[in-house]
Amino acid sequence: MAFQKTLLALCIAAGLAIVGGGVSAAEQKAKAPTTPGGKAAYTRQENFKQQGAVFKAIRDELKKDAPSMALISTSAVKLKNSADALPTWFPKGSGPESKYATDAKPEVWTDPVKFASAVKRLQVEATKFQTIAASGDIGAMRAQSQAVGGTCKGCHDSFRVPEEK
Amino acid sequence: MAGERLDTPKVRAKLWDGPTRIVHWALVILMGFAWWSVEANQTEWHLWAGYGILGLILFRLIWGFAGSASARFTSFVKGPITTLAYAKTLSRRSAGDMAGHNPLGGWSVVAILAAILSQVVTGLFAVDVDGLESGPLSDRVSFETGRLFSKWHDLSFTAIKLLVVLHLSAIAFYALHKRANLIMPMITGYKSFETDPKLRFAPLWLAALGAGAAAAVTWWVMKGLRL
Repeated sequence: MAFQKTLLALCIAAGLAIVGGGVSAAEQKAKAPTTPGGKAAYTRQENFKQQGAVFKAIRDELKKDAPSMALISTSAVKLKNSADALPTWFPKGSGPESKYATDAKPEVWTDPVKFASAVKRLQVEATKFQTIAASGDIGAMRAQSQAVGGTCKGCHDSFRVPEEK
Repeated sequence: MAGERLDTPKVRAKLWDGPTRIVHWALVILMGFAWWSVEANQTEWHLWAGYGILGLILFRLIWGFAGSASARFTSFVKGPITTLAYAKTLSRRSAGDMAGHNPLGGWSVVAILAAILSQVVTGLFAVDVDGLESGPLSDRVSFETGRLFSKWHDLSFTAIKLLVVLHLSAIAFYALHKRANLIMPMITGYKSFETDPKLRFAPLWLAALGAGAAAAVTWWVMKGLRL
């Protein structure tokens, strides 16, 4: 009997761990920012979500056999503007010290030169993409979209807390 | 329990057919490979592993309805009363003469298959944070929904890891407490029985047909549900 109870307890513990993990993740998201730093972190996340959505729209379009040129060139402009605005999304105090759930590493602020050059890479590649998008060469657009994504990844690898896998 | 009678001559009989064993071990290899490849940032390989796993799971589901007796869901998915009755006999030091999954093991199979299926499906819609490597169906959802699928993909993997630990613990328990080797039959397909269970096995052409169907659906999903 003792064995079955242990087994049951283990199963319940495992179940609770899964549910608990989900709830704590949801809680983190729901917490509204109150401080200026927290608000800036929140705005930054919204901006990145929009940038992600714009880039995804480009990538999704380029997956198609006949991508819409209009959609791509509009998105390319949005992407470039977003990349240009990006440096303003990281005011001092909006890092981990803001107590708002952020994946921005302190290195964004402690190594500003390296961070600025990582951002610059995105701006350069996004500008190139805009030019190529205007040319209508789909193959070149596909290749350049990889280059743009590579700069996202390059910056994330150094300045964003890695995701749990 | 028949298992306690040492004077009875044992008969070696086939328990698990080839397709079931291949699916089992291929899943072990591909799940391990998928885990390794994502940790190593080899997302393209991770996607290939995912397609392989999708094909295997689809085949296993087909085989669970149309395959050999010991692989069929109807042969091992039992109701709560039977499952509870079996659970009460767990502490006995004999595994009995059951041909195939016991009622608890049956539910473990269902749970693992469900977890792997949810792992694959969440992966199909997942969007990575760089927007570079995304699931083949991610263009059907928004960026934020895709990111959410990515989180569920992660959560679902935690569930798989827990189920694998439970699976391995159960195998260790049967080996140590009940002196029953569950691993060898899954490798060779054969097990010793008190009496030959005379299981019915599905023909190879049916396995080929099922594999073809699973591969076709997987191909279709890979192509983003476009023909």
